[in-house]
Amino acid sequence: MNLFLIAMILALLIPIYDAWKNEDIWRRMLAFGSISTKAAITILFVSVLRDDWMIGIVGVMILTVGNAALMLLAQIIKRIGEA
Amino acid sequence: MIDLLSYTCIGIGIFFSFWGTSHLLTQRSVLFKLHSLSVADTLGSMSIMFGLLLKRPREWPLLLLAIICLALWNTMLGYVLAYCASGEQKYE
Repeated sequence: MNLFLIAMILALLIPIYDAWKNEDIWRRMLAFGSISTKAAITILFVSVLRDDWMIGIVGVMILTVGNAALMLLAQIIKRIGEA
Repeated sequence: MIDLLSYTCIGIGIFFSFWGTSHLLTQRSVLFKLHSLSVADTLGSMSIMFGLLLKRPREWPLLLLAIICLALWNTMLGYVLAYCASGEQKYE
C-alpha cells in the first residue's frame, strides 16, 4: 500500500510542475483542478490506510468545495477577460 | 481474492492518472488536455476509490460519497472549464 501512496504523490507532482511552468491562465486552471482532485484522493487513501474518519471527511470536503470554487474562479476570470 | 481485485483496481487507477497527467506536459491544445485530464482524473480516481471500498467495506458511506462527488463535480468542472477556455470563439 505504501508503494501506491508513493506513486500517487509522484502523479501529484506532475500537475504542480505544470502549474509552475506554464504562463497561460487556462492551462494553469487545468493543472490546479487536477491538483485538487489528486490531493483529495491522496488524503482519502491516507485516511483509509490509517483507519481515521476525520481525515477522510477533509478529503471529501476538498473534493466538493475545491471543485466548486474552481468553477466559480473560472467564471470570474472569463468575465474579467471580457471586460 | 478480494485483496487481489482491490489492488488491481488501485493499480488501474494510478496507471490512468499517470497516463492522463502526462498529456499536460505536451504542447497540445487546452481542450485536448482537458479531455484527457477529466477522463483520467474521474475514472482513475473512481477506480482507486472502488479499490479502497473493496478493501475497507466498513467505511462505505464516506467512500461512496467521494465516488458520487467525483462523478458529479469533475464532469461539471470539465464542462465549465471547456466553456470558459473556448469562450472567445463564437458559434453562430
